[in-house]
Amino acid sequence: MSPEISNQSLLFLIVFVLVPLSLSYYYQLGQNKDIIWSSIRGTVQLFLIGYALNYLFDLPPYIGIPFMISVMIIVASFHARKKGEGLPNVLWTILLGLIIIEVSVLSLWLVADMIEFTPSEVIPMSGMVIGNSMVAMGLALERMKSEFKENEGRLLAALSLGAEPKQASHIIVQRTLMASLIPNADKLKTVGLVQLPGMMTGLILGGVSPVMAIKYQLVISLSIFSAVSLSAIYITLVMYRYFFNKKMQLKQFSHQESS
Amino acid sequence: MREGEPIIRLKDIQYGPLQDINLNVYPGERVIVFGPSGSGKSTLLHLFNRLLDAEKGSISFYDQPYESYTIPKLRRKIGLVLQAPHLFPGTVLDNLKFGPSMVDEWKDKQGEELLEYVQLPSDYLHRSVDQLSGGEKQRVSLARTLANKPDVLLLDEPTSALDEQTTEDIEEVLSMLIDKHQITVIMVTHQLSQAKRLGDRGIYLEDGRIMEEGPLPDILEKPKTEELQSFLV
Repeated sequence: MSPEISNQSLLFLIVFVLVPLSLSYYYQLGQNKDIIWSSIRGTVQLFLIGYALNYLFDLPPYIGIPFMISVMIIVASFHARKKGEGLPNVLWTILLGLIIIEVSVLSLWLVADMIEFTPSEVIPMSGMVIGNSMVAMGLALERMKSEFKENEGRLLAALSLGAEPKQASHIIVQRTLMASLIPNADKLKTVGLVQLPGMMTGLILGGVSPVMAIKYQLVISLSIFSAVSLSAIYITLVMYRYFFNKKMQLKQFSHQESS
Repeated sequence: MREGEPIIRLKDIQYGPLQDINLNVYPGERVIVFGPSGSGKSTLLHLFNRLLDAEKGSISFYDQPYESYTIPKLRRKIGLVLQAPHLFPGTVLDNLKFGPSMVDEWKDKQGEELLEYVQLPSDYLHRSVDQLSGGEKQRVSLARTLANKPDVLLLDEPTSALDEQTTEDIEEVLSMLIDKHQITVIMVTHQLSQAKRLGDRGIYLEDGRIMEEGPLPDILEKPKTEELQSFLV
């Protein structure tokens, strides 16, 4: 297979857009505009990023890498913040978390000589780590909010028995972490068997030998697993405190009259 | 039963619906708080347990302001049983140990003793809480609060979600506990018959104010205020 796809060939992708579009039309889902808009937006975005990356890859590493990583971390922080709406300091907490995780993972890659400090290697690999960490933090925040709401009675019971916020929310922290870790562990179990991961597929299409592609995939898969775990633990352990006030009382939820 | 100094004293308390609440609770008393929905009964219990702090006014425990006690210690001493049991996942023993183990006060035989108080067989200790009936869960919830050896027991409609027979069983357990341990009880209920059976002083709350208080059952049989008279109709 040629690694080059011509622009004419790309035009045939319209067929793939026509499938959901006809479904939406036939079943009157009212999604026609949305499907067309997202397809166009996705295409334009990818081309722009492609050209931007071309430019960044030509820059000296000490300029291109920090610039792009900063952009990714800031965009990811603003995006994940939405999941923690209503909680204080969410943006700064996520931003700091993503910086710590990215710096740690990148340092390990470079120290162990897994990748080279070039924009073409660091930026895509970091993008995957930051993106997955962003999703993990967002999910953990969402989960934590719903667990606190669902378990308000248990939390009140624990506090009323003399538990401190840390002890009272132990089960919630545990459940939030479990919910973040299990899907990633499951994903690792089936990696390569159910589907070839995106990075590996890309490398093979680009002409790299499958064994070399697997090595890169291993680096990224395990790095993501670790980054996702760290993200979930970090955000959960920092944010659970905000559900309580200084007097060890539950915040946010109204103490409704039960009688 | 009013002996000596009040164990809890509420002075000019204001919080949400509650206005100008002045109330003294004496050691060994069984105070029943009743009134229509939204009158602030549960909120009052939450204030007693410091799950909430009053916007105005002060509360003292053994003549010392609430703020002078560490919050976990105060909550252990003024134990609360919520309307629903809200047991923690795990076994009955896990639940009973929850409070005492935080201060290393759990003793080996305490589990059996607590289950005896609430009239449950000792082999229930290792049973998962998921296997318990509604009434059994409420007994475990009661025993879990008693495990902290509170001086005051707050009960927030502990039988409201239970059937008649189970309610009677729980009432029997409560009567026995109150008589045996001489514990001070503040109980919210909307069952007036229960108030007569278990309480010795009634507090009638309406629109966040104490409208009438007096010995039980007199306050229910000869109400003085129009508000209580129309509530009892």
